[in-house]
Amino acid sequence: MSILTPFFKSPLTDLTGSVISSQWGDGPCRDMEMKALDCLDAYGIRRGEVKCAELIKNFDECSVKIKQMNRTTAMRLERHRQHFAGERSKEDKYSKNPPSPETY
Amino acid sequence: MAQIRQDLPPAGGYGPINYKRMPIKPLLSGAALIGGYLGITAGSLYLYYLNYKSVFNRELEARGASLALFPMLLAERDRAYLKQLRINREEERELMKNVPGWKVGTWYGEPIYLGGDPNKFVDPRIQEYYVHANYKEMAKRCEMSLWS
Repeated sequence: MSILTPFFKSPLTDLTGSVISSQWGDGPCRDMEMKALDCLDAYGIRRGEVKCAELIKNFDECSVKIKQMNRTTAMRLERHRQHFAGERSKEDKYSKNPPSPETY
Repeated sequence: MAQIRQDLPPAGGYGPINYKRMPIKPLLSGAALIGGYLGITAGSLYLYYLNYKSVFNRELEARGASLALFPMLLAERDRAYLKQLRINREEERELMKNVPGWKVGTWYGEPIYLGGDPNKFVDPRIQEYYVHANYKEMAKRCEMSLWS
């Protein structure tokens, strides 16, 4: 169902799966996890998979950041492609305004 | 048979055994030692007090300056961050203009977070923040902890 669902479900994963969650501390995925869990709570596991798909996907994205990583890779590869295809000169390959190290 | 001769004290007996105590002449009396100790301790404690006060004041001033500057530095950093994100967005628009189906800030038109406000700010990962720059620029930030 979710990326974070264990590959093999067993009594052991049922026991330990709930120990670590995004509810610890004040992480960025806290609300999204709670929303997804509330939705699953309301609809149950089978209907919840359909009804809460968006919320679960959002939580997956927040915790694993697949889309953001894919975006980064796509942009990086596009830049390399343009360079190899000759659309970008060597001096022009990378941005002229790189981020300053103290800003992140 | 040989003549036997016993060892005997010298005539007039042995001299007296010198067992009388001979103390060294003290440089300072006990009262002077204790008084001197107390006096020097009091004097150095006064000097310590002066030094403590000056160090405390210096630290207080530095702490106050740091507390006063921190919000401004934080705001400046946030401002620089947002400005850089704007630069990155324009850079992305320029870079991906020939890629079919690509929309800026999304994964081929699919927003990062579904539902909700599409204009909601999403923090980039550091790799995405530095995606348009040379890796050397990212190394400056990522290896900062190794230099400090």
